[in-house]
Amino acid sequence: MLPAGLHPDRTALQVLRSHLRAPQAGATYGVLRFGDTSVAACLPAGGLALGNLHEIGARGPEAETGTVAAGFAACLLAALPDRRPVFWIAPCCDLHMPGLPAYGLDPGRLILVHTRTDVETLAAMETALRAGMAAAVLGEVGKLGRLPARRLQLSCRKRGSTGFVLRRWPYGRRETMEEATAAVTRWEVAPAPSEAAFREPGPARWRVVLQHARGGHEGAWIMEATTDDAAHPLRVVAGLADAAPAPDRRRLAG
Amino acid sequence: MWLPDWPTQRLHRTGAASPDRPTATVEAVRGQRRLKAVCPRAAALGLRASQALAQARAICPELMAIDADPVADQAALEGLAGWCERFSPLAAADPPDGVWLDITGCAHLFGGEAELAAVLATLLARNGLNSRLAVAGTPGTAWALAHAAVPEQASVLPAGQETAALATLPVALLRLDPRSIAELHGLGLRSIGALARLPRADLSARFGPLPVLRLDQAQGRVAEAIAWPHPPAPWSERLAFAEPIGTPKDLTRTLVRLAILLCTRLEAVRRGGLSFVATFCRVDDARPAIAIGTALPVRDPMRIAGLLGDKLEQVDPGFGIEAVVLEATATAPLAPPQMALPHIAPSSTIAPDTALADTLDELANRLGPARLWRATPQESHVPERSVRRVPPLVPASSWSHGSAAERPLRLFRRPEPIEVTAPVPDDPPRQFRWRGALHRVRAASGPERIAAEWWRRHAAPPDRPETDLVRDYYRVEDIGGGRFWMFRTGLNTGRSAARWFLHGLFG
Repeated sequence: MLPAGLHPDRTALQVLRSHLRAPQAGATYGVLRFGDTSVAACLPAGGLALGNLHEIGARGPEAETGTVAAGFAACLLAALPDRRPVFWIAPCCDLHMPGLPAYGLDPGRLILVHTRTDVETLAAMETALRAGMAAAVLGEVGKLGRLPARRLQLSCRKRGSTGFVLRRWPYGRRETMEEATAAVTRWEVAPAPSEAAFREPGPARWRVVLQHARGGHEGAWIMEATTDDAAHPLRVVAGLADAAPAPDRRRLAG
Repeated sequence: MWLPDWPTQRLHRTGAASPDRPTATVEAVRGQRRLKAVCPRAAALGLRASQALAQARAICPELMAIDADPVADQAALEGLAGWCERFSPLAAADPPDGVWLDITGCAHLFGGEAELAAVLATLLARNGLNSRLAVAGTPGTAWALAHAAVPEQASVLPAGQETAALATLPVALLRLDPRSIAELHGLGLRSIGALARLPRADLSARFGPLPVLRLDQAQGRVAEAIAWPHPPAPWSERLAFAEPIGTPKDLTRTLVRLAILLCTRLEAVRRGGLSFVATFCRVDDARPAIAIGTALPVRDPMRIAGLLGDKLEQVDPGFGIEAVVLEATATAPLAPPQMALPHIAPSSTIAPDTALADTLDELANRLGPARLWRATPQESHVPERSVRRVPPLVPASSWSHGSAAERPLRLFRRPEPIEVTAPVPDDPPRQFRWRGALHRVRAASGPERIAAEWWRRHAAPPDRPETDLVRDYYRVEDIGGGRFWMFRTGLNTGRSAARWFLHGLFG
């Protein structure tokens, strides 16, 4: 049965094709662009789809401290077009506010929630997302089951707040990441050497791998945090040929 | 309400003594054991208070004598007063054997004051307690009537007739001390009416302030203050049920009804509630309560009921809940919300502040109010003290974006000690070992000296040199790309090596 207003000559196949061509991840709430064609090619909507759940993880010692993932997330949050408050929900409150302006994020926008367990964090995230009064909600979670992730994704879609899940195991006990995820994109961030000038460290630089994108494909880049361009959160320094994440070679031995 | 045989009947109720045997409580007076209180059965046999125990046993061999326990009597009396709260929220114990009940405005729920008294007397009698009740306009008159009434039924005095009723009662019922009573009897003043006819100035000069005060209290000229254990909150609503309820659905519905009643009252005076307490009166007299708080004053019954409903699972209904009381313990002025006309300005009618406050209230009531905050900068160089927590609804102050100092993204609560290889004296480290892993340094910036604030510094500990209170911070990057914030305390002298710590991580 054709919807009303549709030309009667169009066949059902053409209707289905037009439906399929619509953005898969439902970028009806807007898109955060990275300003780089290779990144836009990997993501289905040409950028980070707002109003959806995104997962950011790390590997190795970073899984415990969660620093580079937090820095990457801070850059994304700083570039959100919505200027409403942002919730940062974490069981381990060691985020240092004076360090955030370096990524462009104003710490006055953050509302911090200190929970006790992963379950509480997920419940608080769902409450904040369902209310829809925040621009974004970021939660630091270790164990994320399939059902809680699906509920978070549905809560994001309901009101249009963007959800970020930072995978962090602050007390060690790292568990393997699940294969399938309900989030629309899954990123993995690792530190990368910065451009040192006069033997001093330059701006923060990361090796960012897009492990999974619903409706897109994977990619890897080296990105640098920059505060010059307010519209685009990160500056892509180089694209990496191997899209697959490198094995854990961060032995850092002398 | 006067319970003339309270001590012995309490013992009967608790089973320490059997009601069939005559019972008396005994205390030691100047080395001799004397009876203190006798039960009606023993009184019928001729025993009286302050009779010697040996004499009493001679009269009645099967007498059961138990040591008097005034502390337990008092505690049980307060429990009884708590039970009486089902008739009126204001119920207090009047030691040694009475209970005050303020039934102003409560009598209509039972069909009248006489009916209330009758129900109370019946319930007490069913529990094996003799009682004499009197209802009057002032506490003093009620006390006198209760202690004077000879028949076993309650007497209800219409308002305004206190003076006439008191006129014929003996002076002893005015709650005076025995010496004054003896003096008054000596002067021939035996009735309260005769006392009232005397000039007041002479009375107070001769007997002190107490008789005049009691007279005024009884006649209603002076208000008498009674200490109520549960003083009523001015903003409180109460719903009682004929049958006890216990299911969560019923409790939620009751909370909604109470919230609607309370909010209509609050709206009339343009106030909103900041914290609410819901108390559930169970059948077995336990009174569990749940409390919620909100950041902004609130007058929406659905929100209040919703926040209370989240905490409802903490309440154990036991055998049933007879009454629910909802009170607003803190209120604040709240202007009526400005409604937007939908066709002119199609935005939401609720101000965005209120909607954010709803979410924050929900999270705060679930986790605790101290777990939600915003950060504001505090003027301090010391990194641990440079951030201050404020409640989340306070508008955020701006952070200076152009600050030259670079600060890490993650700051450890305690700096972790690391082993560092560094050329002296001021160069940044070449390599360091942290958590068992060796890191080779590729680039570093610093040092940045941060000293302890001299105006806050206590006397330096004697075993540490003065230089330990300054730290030289370095921002260090290793060959893998990890960026660290570490500091050195102390100087590399010949005697002691400097100590290095890792304080934070850059993203």
